[in-house]
Amino acid sequence: MIARLRAMVRKEFSQLLRDVPMLLILAWAFTGAVYVNSQRMSSELQNYPVVVLDLAGSPSSRELVARFRAPYFKVVGYAAGDDELVRMLDTGAASLAIVVPPDFERRARDSTARLQVISDGSQSMIATIAGAHVASIANGYSVELLERRWAGAVGLRRTGIPQVETRTRVEYNPNLVNTWFSALLEVLNQTTMATMLLSAAAMVREREYGTIEHLLVSPLRPVELLAAKIVPVVTLVPLAALASVLVMVHGLFGTPIRGSLVLFYAVTVVHVFAMASLGLGIAVLARNLGQAIMMLLLILYPMQILSGAFTPPESQGAFMRTVGQLSPLRHYVDFGYQVLFKGNGLAYVWQDVAGILALGLALFTLSVRRFARLVR
Amino acid sequence: MGRRILAIARKEARQLLRDPVYLGLAFVVPLMLLVLLGYQLSLDVKGLLVAVVDRDRSPWSRQYVDGFVHSDYFRLVARLDTEAEAREWIRTGRARVVIDIPPDFGRRLSANERVAIGITVDGSFPSRGEIALGYVETVSTLYNQALLRAWLAEHGRRTLQVWPVETDVVIWYNPTLESKNFIVPGMLVIVLMIFPPLLSALLIVRERESGTIFNLYCSPARRWDILAGKALPYVAVSFLDYLAIFAISLGLFQVRFVGSAWVLSAGALLYSMATVGLGLLISVLTRTQLAAVMATFLVAVAPAFAFSGIFTPIAGQTLAGRIIGRLMPATYFMEIVRGSYLKGPEAAAYGPTFAGLATYAVAVYALAWLALRKRVG
Repeated sequence: MIARLRAMVRKEFSQLLRDVPMLLILAWAFTGAVYVNSQRMSSELQNYPVVVLDLAGSPSSRELVARFRAPYFKVVGYAAGDDELVRMLDTGAASLAIVVPPDFERRARDSTARLQVISDGSQSMIATIAGAHVASIANGYSVELLERRWAGAVGLRRTGIPQVETRTRVEYNPNLVNTWFSALLEVLNQTTMATMLLSAAAMVREREYGTIEHLLVSPLRPVELLAAKIVPVVTLVPLAALASVLVMVHGLFGTPIRGSLVLFYAVTVVHVFAMASLGLGIAVLARNLGQAIMMLLLILYPMQILSGAFTPPESQGAFMRTVGQLSPLRHYVDFGYQVLFKGNGLAYVWQDVAGILALGLALFTLSVRRFARLVR
Repeated sequence: MGRRILAIARKEARQLLRDPVYLGLAFVVPLMLLVLLGYQLSLDVKGLLVAVVDRDRSPWSRQYVDGFVHSDYFRLVARLDTEAEAREWIRTGRARVVIDIPPDFGRRLSANERVAIGITVDGSFPSRGEIALGYVETVSTLYNQALLRAWLAEHGRRTLQVWPVETDVVIWYNPTLESKNFIVPGMLVIVLMIFPPLLSALLIVRERESGTIFNLYCSPARRWDILAGKALPYVAVSFLDYLAIFAISLGLFQVRFVGSAWVLSAGALLYSMATVGLGLLISVLTRTQLAAVMATFLVAVAPAFAFSGIFTPIAGQTLAGRIIGRLMPATYFMEIVRGSYLKGPEAAAYGPTFAGLATYAVAVYALAWLALRKRVG
C-alpha cells in the first residue's frame, strides 16, 4: 500500500511542479495579491469626501467647517453655487455636502443657527456612520458656543456644562491599521481558494484527459487515490501561507505576530486538508473544469461571506450563524486572528481546531464515498 | 469577415448549449448569490456584543447604559466588576466593546462637570472596531444632547439662551437608508465581474489543452475573427444574466430605480464586453485551464469586492486604493449602476464614466489580439 501511495504521490507532485506558469500564479497569490488586496477599500469612515458651500464666509462658519477633518472627513472642495454642489454629489466626487446659510454668524452669536447637511444615502451603512459624526461635531460646537456665551454673561453664578467624554482604547491594533487585518485575511482566503482550486483541478484534469480510466483500473484504492491527490497540496500550500505570514504580513506590513507560528502552521495543514477534501468532492461531481469552478463558487462565496470577516457572526440571524458553523473557513478565520493577533493559545482556540478537524474528516470521508461509487 | 465571426460564434454557442449543467450553473450560481446576499445575509454590523463595568451604579450611569440597551447596534452581554475580567471577555471574543464607567460619574455630572468614561474596543477586526467606536459616539452624543437640553432648561431661561447650532440633515438618493438599495445593485456589478470572465477565461486555453487549437490555427479565421467570435456568445450570456438580475432587483427586491433602463443597459453591454474580454486576454496568455482560472480569480474575482467601491466612496480612498480602483471596470460600472438606480439620469450618463469603461474594453481586446499568435512555438 505504501509503495502504491508513494508512486501516485510522486506523479502528483511532478505534475504540479511542472506547470511553471501555474506555480508563478500561485506565488503571486501569496505575495502580490496579498499586497493588492490589503489596500482594499476600508469599510470604515475615513477621509469621507465633503463639499462645502459657505454662504456666510464668517469666522464661526470657518471654525465649524474646520471640524470636518481627518481621519473621518476630508473637505474635497468648496462649491461656488448649488449647481456645482449637486454635480459633485451626483458624480460621487463628494458624499456629504455642508451648506452654511448667510446669517450663520449672527444667529450663532445670539439665537439658533441652522446648518444644512446633505448626505448621499446611496451607501447607507457608511452614510449612517457619517451622520453620527456630523451630529457629534454639531453637538460639540454647540457646547462650546454655549460656554462662550455663558462666559460673556455677567452677574450669574458660573457653572460648567455637564458632558460625557469618551476615552477610547483599542486592543491589539491601537491605531486600527487596516492593512494589519486585511493582509492576514487575504492569506487565509488565498490558502482556502488555492487549495480548493488545486485539488479540484487535479481530479478534473484526469477526467478531461481521460486518464481517469487508468487510475480506475490501477490497484489503487479510492482512499489511496484521493489521499495522493491531497498530499502535494497539503505540503505546498501551508508552507506558502506560513511564508506569506512571515514575509508579507509581518515583514512588509509590520503586523505584530503575538502567537505561536507552529500552532498556526499545524492548524493550517488541517484546514488545507479539509478544503482539499471539499475540492475533491466537487471534482468528483463535475465533468469538466468549468462545471467544477461554478460549483466551487457556489460554496466558496457563501463561505467567505459567513466567515465572520465581512460582518460579525453576532449580526447574523440564528439560522445563518448555524450554517456558518459548518464552514471550516469560519473556524479558520477565527483561529487565525485569535492566535496570530491576540496571542491566544490552544486553550482558547481548541473549539475552532476541533471544528476544522471534524469537518475535514467528514468531507474527506464523503469524497471517498462518492468516488468509490464512481469506481463501481 | 462577418461570416467567419458568425461561424465561430455559432460553434461556441453550440458547445455552451451542449453542456447544460455548466450553462445552468452559470445562471443559477449568480442568481443564488444575489438572493442569498439580498435576503438572508445581513451585511449591517448590528448586535455588537458589549459588556459594562459600572463602578458608579447611580441613576446617571444606568441612564447612560440604557442608551446601549435600547440600541439595535449593541447587545449587552454582561455587567462585569473588574477591568481584568473585561479584558478576558475581549480576549475570548465574548465581548467586542467594554464600557468602563468611573465611580464618580453621577456625582460629577450632577455638579455640572465633565466626566470621562473608558471605552475599550477589540481592534483585531479594524473596520468593525471603527464602526463600534462610531456607534459608541452616537450613543454618547444622544446622552450629551439630553444633558445639554436639561441644562438649558435649568440655566438657559435666566439668560435667554437657546440651542446654538441645529443641523438639518437631508438624505439624498436613498432617503430611507435601506441597505438593499445599494447592496443589490452592487451585487449586479460584482456578479457580472465574477462569472463572465471565469467562463471566457477557459475559451482559448481549453482548445490549447485539448489540441483543437490547431483547427483554429489552420482555419482562414484571422485573430480578430477568433476573438470576436468566441466573445460573442459569452457577451450574450452575460447580458442575459444582467437582464435577469435587473428584473429580480426591481421585481423581487423592489429596489428604487430613478434612471433610464436604456442607459443602464448600454452600460451593462459595454461592461459585459469588457469583462468577457478580460477573460479572453487571460485565456490567451495562459497554458493550462487551471492557471487561467487562478489568474482570473486573482485579477478579477477577488478584487471585485474590495475595490469597486460598493461600501465606501472611492473618492475617500488612499491613492493606491484609488489607482487600483480605476484599473477595474467594476468601478466605472458601479457609478453607472448607482446613478441609474439611485441618483438619476444625469449622474448615470456621466460622460467620463462611459469613456473609462469603453477604454478598458478596447484595451483588453487589443492586448488579446496582440498576444494571440496563430503560429506554433
